[in-house]
Amino acid sequence: MITAFLIGLGVMCAVVLILTLVILACDATIANYGPVRIVINGEREITVQGGRPLLASLKDHEIFLPSACGGRGSCGMCKVRVLEGAGDPLATELPWLNAQERKDKIRLSCQVKVKRPLRIEVPRELLQVRQYRTQVIGMRDLTYDIKEVTLQLAPGERIDFQAGQFIQFEVPPYALADEPVYRAYSISSSPAQHDRVELEIRLVPNGICTTYVHRYLKVGDGVTVNGPYGDFHLQENDREMICVAGGSGMAPIKSILARLAETGSKRRIRYFFGARTERDLFLVDEMRALERTLTDFRFIPALSAPQDGAAWQGETGLVTAVLERHVTSVENAEAYLCGSPGMINATVAVLKKKGMPVERIYFDSFG
Amino acid sequence: MSELLYFLAVLLSAVFTSNILLTNYLGMCSFLAVSKEIKTSLGLGAAVVFVMAITCPLNWMVSAWVLEPLHLEYLRFIVFIVVIAAFVQVLEMIVERVSETLYANLGIFLPLITVNCAILGASLFMIIRKYTLAESFVYGTGSGLGWMLAILAMAGIRQEKLNQSKLPRGLEGPAIALVVAGIMALAFMGFSGMGGGN
Amino acid sequence: MKETPQMRKARENMIPGRLSLPGFLGGERDLPRLLDEDAETVKRLGLTHAAIADRMRELRDAGAEGLGEFLSVPPHFEVRADSVRGRIPCPFGERGLYPKTSITVRNLRTGREVTYTDLHIHLVAAHGFYEGVGTPYRLEPADLVSVLEVQPKDTTL
Repeated sequence: MITAFLIGLGVMCAVVLILTLVILACDATIANYGPVRIVINGEREITVQGGRPLLASLKDHEIFLPSACGGRGSCGMCKVRVLEGAGDPLATELPWLNAQERKDKIRLSCQVKVKRPLRIEVPRELLQVRQYRTQVIGMRDLTYDIKEVTLQLAPGERIDFQAGQFIQFEVPPYALADEPVYRAYSISSSPAQHDRVELEIRLVPNGICTTYVHRYLKVGDGVTVNGPYGDFHLQENDREMICVAGGSGMAPIKSILARLAETGSKRRIRYFFGARTERDLFLVDEMRALERTLTDFRFIPALSAPQDGAAWQGETGLVTAVLERHVTSVENAEAYLCGSPGMINATVAVLKKKGMPVERIYFDSFG
Repeated sequence: MSELLYFLAVLLSAVFTSNILLTNYLGMCSFLAVSKEIKTSLGLGAAVVFVMAITCPLNWMVSAWVLEPLHLEYLRFIVFIVVIAAFVQVLEMIVERVSETLYANLGIFLPLITVNCAILGASLFMIIRKYTLAESFVYGTGSGLGWMLAILAMAGIRQEKLNQSKLPRGLEGPAIALVVAGIMALAFMGFSGMGGGN
Repeated sequence: MKETPQMRKARENMIPGRLSLPGFLGGERDLPRLLDEDAETVKRLGLTHAAIADRMRELRDAGAEGLGEFLSVPPHFEVRADSVRGRIPCPFGERGLYPKTSITVRNLRTGREVTYTDLHIHLVAAHGFYEGVGTPYRLEPADLVSVLEVQPKDTTL
């Protein structure tokens, strides 16, 4: 009786042991892709541990592809050209790739698992993207819901960017979020300042990052950012400029204006800023100061619902309506827009009606 | 030739006359939970076919070559479950290595299958029915196909008909699904007459 | 009942602090049951998720021109579409990032109002999901239908 029991127990243990060994063996062979080489742009070569997504593997080597969703395959931003070593695009990628991109072997790097040696192409400007460990040295309230945050780079570090570009801000896990998240914010300071960046962050109701910045972040805290990104930036030419922004869309325009002031630009600039009420306006004094520094600059704030009707001397109405009234000739002008998608669509429509070709309208939509 | 016909008979009876889902009511939970759309049902169904086709002969070998010689038949239940779980683990790794596309379509269902009682049921029936190794493979494949057929039919009915129909409140969701499954089972009973004719 | 892998992934994305601060589920644990219950409510009202989503889209488009101000929309609605920075993905893990546009619809006849987002429109249309009871973004299907005055499809044709 005891023997039968012991045999049963022994066999059971043996079976479980053998199966465990089989799984371990498979884990070490089948699921182990070993070190894999990735050749970037035919010149740089990195070696990564296989089996992980390309996006994460590149990040380990300080190559940052833009990604808003953090590798969930839902933002379609982390596109990269994979010349060799990856199979066909997955079903999860197809919605993001048009026929031309499929032909060009464009893939979403968060969906490509590194299994075989890869040859990839990364746009040159993305190779300039770096990660910076910074410290908060200033925080001030611009309005009741917009904060200006100044980040100081570590000593000896230097950031080069073009006026209008943005960075990604890493929110560490905190009381209300258990995973790190990344959010993009335009830089509002001048590109001539290489040792610090300023951001203007408006509190988004229930926003993970903005709640962190407004309620938890304080002077002295460390913040990790990476960048710069974005093709919305100042074009170096002599055209007249029409700038239109709302809310925290102020940030990239402010950087562009700072750059123009520093280079002593003689361009004719009109800046329309849309806000609801007086308390949504900010940096008015700075803008008035720029009107004196720059040769031909006017700041035109427009309130859609001024609270104190009599006291408000400026323009009233939607910013698009004010723009329509003010702009007469767009012949030698280009436009810079930053704000909500709704505002941008409406503004583009106005400018097109005025005869501005779309390729001279540059915009940075929230998001 | 007659051998081939015999295998065909085993296969067809596993698919139709003794459909593991509709005559034995095994694998009900995933059958009810994942039968809302044809597309996902197809993925789960394919995974079940594949796993059953392999685990049946695998368990046959364990049973005939290890358990029976040692008179440990009473350990079948637990050993079969462990074998199935381990096989699914290994299979998941293989699928991931071999094909990203297959992994994306099938891989997500594999962990769900480990605990599907139809898989264990098929392995146990094959012992009761005293199949040979080759027959157990055919039986496993047939049972899987039968299960897939049933869940596809159910998904079709739910997607095309039940979603559009007005139902009394108490009958909505799993209730009507069970009623439909019952009627489907009655319909499948009709198949048993086909084998009895000869 | 067992959860499909997609449902599990969706439920994980709905945890507070993952995609949004308050999460999508509130006190609700059982996502499939939540979906079933709301689907039943919608069916009882003689409607479909698609019809509700179409109406939500229609009113959003009508209010878009206001750029954050209330616009009056015939016959007796006021609609405000306001955006904040950022976009949010669908917790069910599909393609797409949705702008954080919140649309407030006031029904002047009943005096009631409801606020929804661009993501809501997708969630209702594609997943029949109205968020969990207890989250700030929960839409009660019955309230939504009565404020927006969603008409059954066959009578509007």
